[in-house]
Amino acid sequence: MADDRRTAYKRRFDGDLEPESYEIVDILDTLTPDRRAFLATLGGGLLFLVTVRAQDRDLPVRVQVTDDGTYRAFTGKMDMGQGSRTLLTQAFAEELGVPVERVTLVMGDTRLCPDDGGTWASITTPQTVPVIRKAAAAVRAARTGGTDALTAPAAWTTLGRSIPNTTSLAIVTGAKTYPSDLRLPGMLHASLVRSPHHRAQLVAYDAAAVERIPGVRVLRDADLLAVVAADPGTARRAASLVTATWTPAPLRPQNEWPARFKATAVAPVEQPTARYPPLLRRGDVEAGLAGAARRLSSTYWVPPIAHVPMEPRAAVADWRDDAVTVYGGSQAPFLVRQEVAQALQVPEARVRIIASDSGGGFGGKQRGECEVEAARLSRLAGAPVRVAWTREEELTCSYTRPAGLVDVESGVDADGRLTALRFANYNSGAAGLAPQYDVPHQWVGHYRATAEVRQGSYRSLAAVANNFALESHMDEWAAALQIDPVAFRLRHITDARLRQVVEQTAARFGWGATPVGQGRGVGISCNLEKDARLALCVEVAVRGTDVRVVRMVATGDFGAALNPDALLNQMTGAIIQGMGGALWEHVDFDTTAQTTRRLSRYRLPRFRDVPAMDVQLIDRRDVDAAGAGESPITLTAPALAAAVFSATGRRRRSLPLLPLRDAAP
Amino acid sequence: MAKLTLTVNGRPWSGDVPEETSLLEVLREHLMLSGTKYGCGEGQCGSCTVLIDGRASRACVTPASRAREVVTIEGLASDGQLHPVQRAFIEAQAFQCGFCTPGMVMGATALLARTPSPTDADIRTALDGHLCRCGTYPRIIAAVRAASTTMTRERRRG
Repeated sequence: MADDRRTAYKRRFDGDLEPESYEIVDILDTLTPDRRAFLATLGGGLLFLVTVRAQDRDLPVRVQVTDDGTYRAFTGKMDMGQGSRTLLTQAFAEELGVPVERVTLVMGDTRLCPDDGGTWASITTPQTVPVIRKAAAAVRAARTGGTDALTAPAAWTTLGRSIPNTTSLAIVTGAKTYPSDLRLPGMLHASLVRSPHHRAQLVAYDAAAVERIPGVRVLRDADLLAVVAADPGTARRAASLVTATWTPAPLRPQNEWPARFKATAVAPVEQPTARYPPLLRRGDVEAGLAGAARRLSSTYWVPPIAHVPMEPRAAVADWRDDAVTVYGGSQAPFLVRQEVAQALQVPEARVRIIASDSGGGFGGKQRGECEVEAARLSRLAGAPVRVAWTREEELTCSYTRPAGLVDVESGVDADGRLTALRFANYNSGAAGLAPQYDVPHQWVGHYRATAEVRQGSYRSLAAVANNFALESHMDEWAAALQIDPVAFRLRHITDARLRQVVEQTAARFGWGATPVGQGRGVGISCNLEKDARLALCVEVAVRGTDVRVVRMVATGDFGAALNPDALLNQMTGAIIQGMGGALWEHVDFDTTAQTTRRLSRYRLPRFRDVPAMDVQLIDRRDVDAAGAGESPITLTAPALAAAVFSATGRRRRSLPLLPLRDAAP
Repeated sequence: MAKLTLTVNGRPWSGDVPEETSLLEVLREHLMLSGTKYGCGEGQCGSCTVLIDGRASRACVTPASRAREVVTIEGLASDGQLHPVQRAFIEAQAFQCGFCTPGMVMGATALLARTPSPTDADIRTALDGHLCRCGTYPRIIAAVRAASTTMTRERRRG
């Protein structure tokens, strides 16, 4: 699908939304036949259609009061493990004035749920929760005749509490149905004949060896070539007998990517209302640099990495009567509906996406590649078709986190205060560009560039690259000026909450009291990202070319902790996930193909890698809650890079940090 | 095709499957037990862990013909009572997406059957072949520790 349509869709949900008013658009009970049919699909009862108005935008919310007096609430938001199902259930329950057990959340069904945006950018907490609360309070008022005011945080009985994941029992018993678990009667399993290349056109194929096998069919739609059979093993074995000739698109060697990014760079222009403004200017950076007492320039690099959700993508499509229903696990069912409609050249009204909680996303399941493949094949087959990507397909047919090059140039005055900062990110993105430091002269921008490989969203996207670059640069200054890295940071932090987070983290860690050198090192990083204040201190032990992370101490202030235990779980997990990108992960390509194709060749954080961890929250009940799914991942890489420097005196400016042998002194 | 006879969760099963079909495929596609997950197909992630003759095994790289007595996540609870490991995972909220959880629970169950009071190092070593991309490792370690305590107490009570 064209990227501009994705962008347009995403823009609808950009910016902060403060609910201003609401309207109960309709209460469905005895209505027109098609509405009655809709209600019948839902199982009867009373359906409230509410529109919440926020900054000139109308956001839809649906709540059903079922015949047994429980509630069903509907959202297009998805849960890929970040806890949105439980959190949004809490939000509904709090304002409906009922316990969470009385609310069932229906997520990701484009026929039943309102289009309230995709699940990305950590906006479920700051944006969806307030809208849902406003609408649920309206429903409560309409039902009881009481007030439609929101419950004050001090009076919360459900929000602010560590409600366990509402699917816990299903998770531990294996009963939770993930996208890859879904089967339909009469369904065929597809096995795709893939090109070994990153991009290629199908020239010819020979399926003679397969077409004689009973029950096996070969399907082709343009470059999509697949074998379908009643069971996956037969389909897979048959697909391996098909030979195909492909014309690959060439890829430049990866060591030429930095030059390529610069050669194709498009200078940013200011877009202050964008979710991720690509250019932030303050003061006069040229003058600031020219007047600096000392200057420092560094270049940082992050490679492409893979999401590796534990569950590879899977979808089942059922094409019948010129319409298609696709069961899958995308993070953005309404975007996938667009993609499927476009791929099949049918109106969106003929496409229904039913997405279920999936086994991890991390930004990797924003697109509907798998859903589109299943839909195309179901139409060809005239039967429901299941496409379940193998791990190799999940690694190679998806998209990677964009590689990025970051040039940083800065200057300090005679007192060792940063006065000027020029910060240029090439290709990886504008997320997390805004520095958490007060620097009078700034030019901070993201140059879009042309990449030859597929790239896309990732947990916090470019905020990892940007914070790695900025925090590493701060660490370099501290070393150059012989100032303690914590003290140097605090010198430039004006946000009181961030100061507190940094100070508390350093104190709990015992910063300054931990011996360093001779293979032991400590590092700190902090961030003010997506309204969260975060800090992490790490201790590492370096042995040869390897690094062992000994302990981590982290603090997060996300405003009100709407579900403190789930928040801690997210924050801890994100920091651990960040160890992978910091220490080991990189996706490699040769002149036509991705060469990283197996999990055994892609090092991820494992049990053996996990250090002693102390992660704590500062819960500010009266401050609007910030999203937490992403931002903590930005802490890990710079803190570890700083700790490696502290241990060895060697500064590593590209990720992954390991192996250490080629680190610059 | 090969004739296969297995006992899965205490019940005998037999059927014809193509030679070299993995146990994972038999469980998921023939017995329709979808709690055992496919994560990598090369024994790297542990999502497909089941007990074969009491030992934690990777169903994705085990030919079904080599399995006899199999316990999957669906067979762990008995008489409607969750296994202590399952209870401990809920209590510690030792998951996020939950996709790796069935395999983790089976791996932990096998560990505790063999080593009733494992150290943290024992737990890490035993479960190191299990990946959790959400990064819930510290909670999983805590859950296994808690389950060990519970099981020890329950054994003492007899």
